[in-house]
Amino acid sequence: MHILLNKIKEKIALSPEAEAYVRSISTEKTIPKGTVLIREGQTVRKIYFVTGGCMRSFCTDSHGKEHTLQFAIKNWWISDYIAIYNDEPATLTVECLTESTVIEFQANELIGIHAQFPEFEPYQRNNLERHVVSLHKRILNQLQLTAAQRYDLFLEQYPDIEQYTRNYHIASYLGFTQESLSRIRVEKAKK
Amino acid sequence: MNALQLIKYGEIKDGLTFNEVDKPTVRANDVLIEIKAAAINPIDKSIILGNLQSLLPIPMPSTLAYDVSGVVVEKGEQVNKFQTGDLVYARVPQEQMGTLAEFVSVNTVAVSKKPGNISFEEAASIPLAGLTALQSLEYAGIKQNDKVLIHAGSGGVGSLAIQYAKSKGAFVYTTTSTNNVEWVKKLGADRVIDYKTEDYKSIVNQADIVFDTLGKHYTAEAFEVVKQGGKVVSVVGPMDEESALMFGMTDYKLPEELASLSRDKNATYKFIFMHPNGAHLEEIKSLIEDEKIKPIIDKVYPFSESIDAFVHLASGRAKGKIVIKIY
Repeated sequence: MHILLNKIKEKIALSPEAEAYVRSISTEKTIPKGTVLIREGQTVRKIYFVTGGCMRSFCTDSHGKEHTLQFAIKNWWISDYIAIYNDEPATLTVECLTESTVIEFQANELIGIHAQFPEFEPYQRNNLERHVVSLHKRILNQLQLTAAQRYDLFLEQYPDIEQYTRNYHIASYLGFTQESLSRIRVEKAKK
Repeated sequence: MNALQLIKYGEIKDGLTFNEVDKPTVRANDVLIEIKAAAINPIDKSIILGNLQSLLPIPMPSTLAYDVSGVVVEKGEQVNKFQTGDLVYARVPQEQMGTLAEFVSVNTVAVSKKPGNISFEEAASIPLAGLTALQSLEYAGIKQNDKVLIHAGSGGVGSLAIQYAKSKGAFVYTTTSTNNVEWVKKLGADRVIDYKTEDYKSIVNQADIVFDTLGKHYTAEAFEVVKQGGKVVSVVGPMDEESALMFGMTDYKLPEELASLSRDKNATYKFIFMHPNGAHLEEIKSLIEDEKIKPIIDKVYPFSESIDAFVHLASGRAKGKIVIKIY
C-alpha cells in the first residue's frame, strides 16, 4: 500500500483522513499466475494498481485471436475503462502473466473519491492527462515508426518484460506478426 | 440445433444429412461448447464407410466428428477449471462424438484453453492429429538429438509430428512426394526424402525412433532402419499384444513377421491409440503460442458444405487439415 500512497504523495498533499479513506476502499491481494481478473462480456467493477508482477489486457477478435492492449507492471493501473466509463460489459480480458500483487479498488469508489476528498482531483486529472498522452504516443508510433523502432521503444517502456510474456503477446501489442518479432530480434542481436 | 448426422453406413453423399437435434445434456464434469469450428479426419471417413463397425459401433443417427474449437457457454456443477466465456479446443471423447453441430458437451479432461495466437479454424485443426503425434513420440521417449523417421510428412499427423519432434531437438527424416518436398522442408524436417526418386531405406539407418503413419509393408520395413534397441511406433500397423489386451483380445498375437523383426533388433513395437487428453492439448497450446508448431489447413468449408468437405477428405488430396466453420 505504501507504494501507491507514496506515488500519490508525489503529486498531492494527502491528509491523514484521505490516506485512511484510500486504505479503507482498497484491498491488497496476491493473485496467482494465469488468473483472469476481468473477463470479456462480464460487468467490470474493479480497478487494479499493480505493485508487483505482470498483467495484460487483451481483446479477442471474431476469429478467436487475441490482441494485447496493455501490459501492466509495477506502478501501472489496469482495468477495462471502456466498460467502466460507458457502463457496458467488458470488451477486454485482464489476466496475470505472473503471480502479481495488486491493490484492488471498487471502480465507483475510486472514481468518485474527489467528491469526498477534493485534493484528489488534480491527482486524478494528472493521471488521466498522462494516460491520454501515452495513448496518443502509441497511436502515432504505430503510424510513424518502423516495427524495429516500436520494439526498441517497447523495451524501454517495459524493461525485463520479455521474461514474463510470450512472443505473441508482444507481437500483437506492437501490431506485427511473431515472425517479424523473431526477425527483428535476430537483426538486433547481430548489431 | 442443427447437426450433420450419419444415418447409414456407405457412400458419403448417401449416408450424411443435416438434422435438427436436441442440444446435448451437460453432465457434472462437462462444459457445453458453442462450436466455432470443427475439423474432420480420416477416422470420420472410415466411420461413414462402415469400416469401423466392429471396433466403434455407433447408433444411427449420430452426429459426426471429434475435433472442435469454440466458447464455453455452460458448465457442469463439478467444473472449476473452466468458466463460461473461455475459448477452448478439444478432441472430444468417443461417447460425446459430434462436433459438426452448433453445440457439443465435453468432459473437461479432454478440454484445454485454445492457443491465443491462432484462429478458431486453426485451433480446430489441431487436436486429433496433434495428440496422435505427441502421444506417439512421447511414448517413444523422444529426446534431443534422436534420429527420428516420420513417414508421410505432408499428412495431418506427419506435419505436426515433424514440428513436435523438432521442438524436442530431434533430427528428423521424413518421406513425402516430389510436389511436397519444399513445403515439408519449411516445417523444419532436416532431411526430406522424395519417395518417388529416393529409397528412404538407403538414407535412414540407425534411427532411434520410426513413426509409422503408413502401415502395410512400411511397418515391417521400419525394423530395417531402426537401431538396435530402438522404438517403432505405429498408428496404422497391426495392434501390439499389450494394446490388444486392453480391448479384451486375450488370444491376440502380434504377426510373427513383426514379432521376429522386433526380437532381432531388440526394438519395441507399439501401436498407439490416440486418447483425448486436455493436459496434452495444454502442452501443444504452449508450443503453438511459441510458434514451435503451426497449424496447417488445406481448406475451410462453411457448415452448410460439410458433405463436400467429406468428399474432399475422401479424395486423399488434402495437404493439411480440412476444417468446417460452424459460425
